[in-house]
Amino acid sequence: MAILIEKETQVLVQGITGRVGSFQTEIMLDYGTKIVAGVTPGKGGTEIHGVPVYDFIEEALHDHGVNAVISFVPARFAKDATIEVIDNKIPFLVLTAEGIPDQDVLSIFNYASIKGTRVLGPDTPGLVSPGKCKVGVHPERVLKEGHVGVVSKSGALSYEVCKQLTENGYGQSTVVGIGGGPLWDITQRDALEMFENDPQTKVIVLLGEVGGTMEHEAATFIEEHMAKPVISLIVGRSAPTGTQMGHAGAIIAGKKETAESKIDALRKAGSHVAKNPAEIIGFLKSIGV
Amino acid sequence: MRLVEFQAKRIFSEHGIPVPKNILLESSVDLENLPYPVVLKAQVPVGGRGKAGAIKTVSDANEAAAVLDELLSMRIKGNPVQAVLAEKKVEVQKELYLAILIDKLARLPVIMASAAGGIDIEQMARESPERIVKKYISPSIGLSDYTVRYLAKRIGVEKHLRDFEKLTHSLFDIFQSYDGTLVEINPLAVTATGLIALDAKIVLDDKAAYRHGDLFGKLKAEQTWPGRDGRSRSEELAEEKGITYVPLGGDVGMISDGAGTGMLTLDLIQDAGGQAANFCELGGQAGTESVRQALEVVLANPQVKVLLISLIGGLTRMDDVADGIVRYLEQHGRAVPLVIRMCGTQEKVGKEKLRAVGIEAFEDLEETVRAAVKLAKEL
Repeated sequence: MAILIEKETQVLVQGITGRVGSFQTEIMLDYGTKIVAGVTPGKGGTEIHGVPVYDFIEEALHDHGVNAVISFVPARFAKDATIEVIDNKIPFLVLTAEGIPDQDVLSIFNYASIKGTRVLGPDTPGLVSPGKCKVGVHPERVLKEGHVGVVSKSGALSYEVCKQLTENGYGQSTVVGIGGGPLWDITQRDALEMFENDPQTKVIVLLGEVGGTMEHEAATFIEEHMAKPVISLIVGRSAPTGTQMGHAGAIIAGKKETAESKIDALRKAGSHVAKNPAEIIGFLKSIGV
Repeated sequence: MRLVEFQAKRIFSEHGIPVPKNILLESSVDLENLPYPVVLKAQVPVGGRGKAGAIKTVSDANEAAAVLDELLSMRIKGNPVQAVLAEKKVEVQKELYLAILIDKLARLPVIMASAAGGIDIEQMARESPERIVKKYISPSIGLSDYTVRYLAKRIGVEKHLRDFEKLTHSLFDIFQSYDGTLVEINPLAVTATGLIALDAKIVLDDKAAYRHGDLFGKLKAEQTWPGRDGRSRSEELAEEKGITYVPLGGDVGMISDGAGTGMLTLDLIQDAGGQAANFCELGGQAGTESVRQALEVVLANPQVKVLLISLIGGLTRMDDVADGIVRYLEQHGRAVPLVIRMCGTQEKVGKEKLRAVGIEAFEDLEETVRAAVKLAKEL
């Protein structure tokens, strides 16, 4: 088991003919992901790395079953493309675009919740269940199949931590990037709940950062509902108040948004809190998983 | 981008929301003909001006001149005061609060109102949340009339219902049409003649700039007066090139290919006893040219003794990054040592390209940070 995606998940790539879409499709195929179709308006009838390309999702669905879509459509066209995914009742969408206006994201989430699509992102690297399926852009060499569930706002930070996990012999069940924010459909709390219910996952690494208050929601969930151990790392301890540290969500506006307050809340909820990736390994050794 | 008060008030005015008569003072020449008593308000894109003593009532031109000088020499939360708004003083009966913003946890726009205006809303939300009335707005339905009538009753402005309805719908119209993430009137004053916005706050979503022509750029330009804004060369260059850059005051320059690893790298620099000069991240999908520009931005800061580059690309390709670094070195030479951790997509090719210019990339991030901090201390 893993969360959200499985070995048999059939994936459609939206924006498959672009530079990024086509490059990442090849890497995902090499990884073993079952990419059954791609969509780019105006490119229907062609092929990319052996994957048939369609003009519309509806046309692809005539020929293929699709459980998940990964979208590489640029931000300014993402809302329209997303509505196409939702209209076609695809249950799971990975939305990689960075820089979609907030009001578009609100409309997307609202429509998705009405029609029943779960959205990972935006601004997400996607997710990977090592050894099974990758619907994302994670570099393969940092990954290994195993029992650690990883949930992260930042893509690069999850690669950094997975690299150390893998080098120290700790494989991962699923690595989920929820996105840089400031708006999320699938939250840290949601991912924690899925990992809690996933038999393959024995321990969870939660990678958070300054800005927003989502880590407090996660802490409450850990305290009230989780039996599995959670190791947290909150980055941005040294970030000054009021400046935006890259991610749209990473800006300290109130006391609850500081690294300090999140670290406190997580510790009180019973999570181990690491200062750096090396300490995560230390905690894993002490837990003995 | 947070608009400055005079900009937000201009937008309010254009949408029929009443504001006090006002004039932006750019020099003391204007002071003779003001309708005294007037309120002088420092124009900075941050809150807490009242507490900082940056809003003052003056009764004549002499007093105004002295206060203007004083305000123009102030800094509020790091922001130099570059302009002052003079505003006709209004006789207030009651102060209210009204705002529309994005509730991140609910993932919906929310309209908030309170009968207690002019206060710190965050503090009130913590201490007496029952005094704030909140109603969510569905993106597909918009602001309904009954919601507005309900708010009017709860905050006790039924006497001015017609005004309140018009003003609230205008506020929602601004929120939507300008891609706002927050529009706020605090305080919204009740006077003998009706409702008037004494303060105005608008925060725009920078991600939406592309669909507003040159509007956001013009508003940004209006907030800075050349020579008075105190920005560094690095900051100017970063804005020009659209690169994420935050100055931090130390001597270890930092570039990362992701926001999360960038923050981690800063934390590690601090833990290793070093001081970062800046935060600069390439946004997860960097090409050769943006890498070259990032080096130009960070190294335009003369305080930087060592440049630490922290790379672990997924979407970002290490061959592209290496090309960007090499191109920068060809153009500018190597004034400071480069300490680079390279890992991720196409890293073999990237590392070879760096080796060709005599740079051996590190593998371990913490080791890289320690090496950079040590070097900065020796230099």
